[in-house]
Amino acid sequence: MHFLAASIESLGAKLAGWFTIGYGTFAFLTKASLLLLDRTTWNHATFDVVIKQVYFTAVQILHVFLGYSLVIAWLIISIILSTARDFGLTAFASEMTIRVLVLELLPFLTALFIALRSGSAINTEVALMQVNNELDALAHCKVPPMQFEFLPRLVGGVISVVLLAGLAGLSALLLAYLSIYGASIAGFEPFTHTMAKIFDFRIVAGLLVKCALFGLAVTLIPLTAGLETPKKHFMVPVSVLRGMMRVFFAIVAIEVVSLALKYI
Amino acid sequence: MAGVAALSDGVARVALELPLRANLSALDNIALIPLYQRHYGISESTRQAQAILDQLGHAEIAPLRDPDMTPAQRFVAKLARALILKRPRLVIDRPGAMLYDVPYPEFIQQLAAQDAMSGIWEIFDFSWNRNLYNQALLSE
Repeated sequence: MHFLAASIESLGAKLAGWFTIGYGTFAFLTKASLLLLDRTTWNHATFDVVIKQVYFTAVQILHVFLGYSLVIAWLIISIILSTARDFGLTAFASEMTIRVLVLELLPFLTALFIALRSGSAINTEVALMQVNNELDALAHCKVPPMQFEFLPRLVGGVISVVLLAGLAGLSALLLAYLSIYGASIAGFEPFTHTMAKIFDFRIVAGLLVKCALFGLAVTLIPLTAGLETPKKHFMVPVSVLRGMMRVFFAIVAIEVVSLALKYI
Repeated sequence: MAGVAALSDGVARVALELPLRANLSALDNIALIPLYQRHYGISESTRQAQAILDQLGHAEIAPLRDPDMTPAQRFVAKLARALILKRPRLVIDRPGAMLYDVPYPEFIQQLAAQDAMSGIWEIFDFSWNRNLYNQALLSE
């Protein structure tokens, strides 16, 4: 009986904890969204920080990211082409490539890449700011941390993931064309026909929304996890660990929901 | 000391527990205030921040980030940030905790004696450090 009561109590505490985290994240997002719509937010300083964030998140790693996405794209295209040839399904190779790579795998890998590189950095930085009282110092000086520190990171993260996923998708399309038809324009018509068949408005809008949600997940969750950090230095790694686990589950959840909406 | 932390909005504090933003230079830390509070442009905010550092006689710390500064330089950056807030009162909270590498009553006196400095700087310190201030005043 005691065991049952303890289990229920533990489950209740976990549920309450998840609810608190979810509520905190949602409240933070609401506050950020309202500030985003406020005209006074968009001064030179905020634009400057957003541009810096996009530079650090997307431009600085562009060569590494493009190399990584091209290698993965080339491998997947080779696997799809060879399997399609084996089963006599060559006609479907380009459609399969676009669906697997451009719509699913590359946006997912982009989100993981940004989460590991920038999400973890954001989580650590915000946790350290919290522990070192830097946020209190900004509040004392009446410098709004949401406008100066957090909102530019959210906006920069979303822009970066959308742009990088788009760039990876475009380079994969080019690679797919070259792998299937070679350096000739003979395949241009069937390839663009397949593309037009796949990329209807619903799919393009869904892809954009998915990438934006990925961008939000890899910045919003680390930010809120950092802000939850108790003011003790030894809690910083714990905060990053928790934040990155939440980011991983959020990315997987977004991908699963997107697949379910498209194919079920 | 909790009383110092609870001072009103009309007080600009220089305190150990109000650090600089670690990933910004001293100049950027100071320029944040005119930039976000008074909505000046970036170049004007930077000019005002540099002017305060010049007035304090420590223009050389402008490009330094918090970890690269000595305790005295860090104190000057925090003081400049408090001065640019332009609040009616300026309180230096336990300077000994921030200025452990210099004889601090004299150091603060030198900063306050700079030509462009105005207003009253209030120092909150432990009573057992009173002698340090007395010595500084006697040596003046």
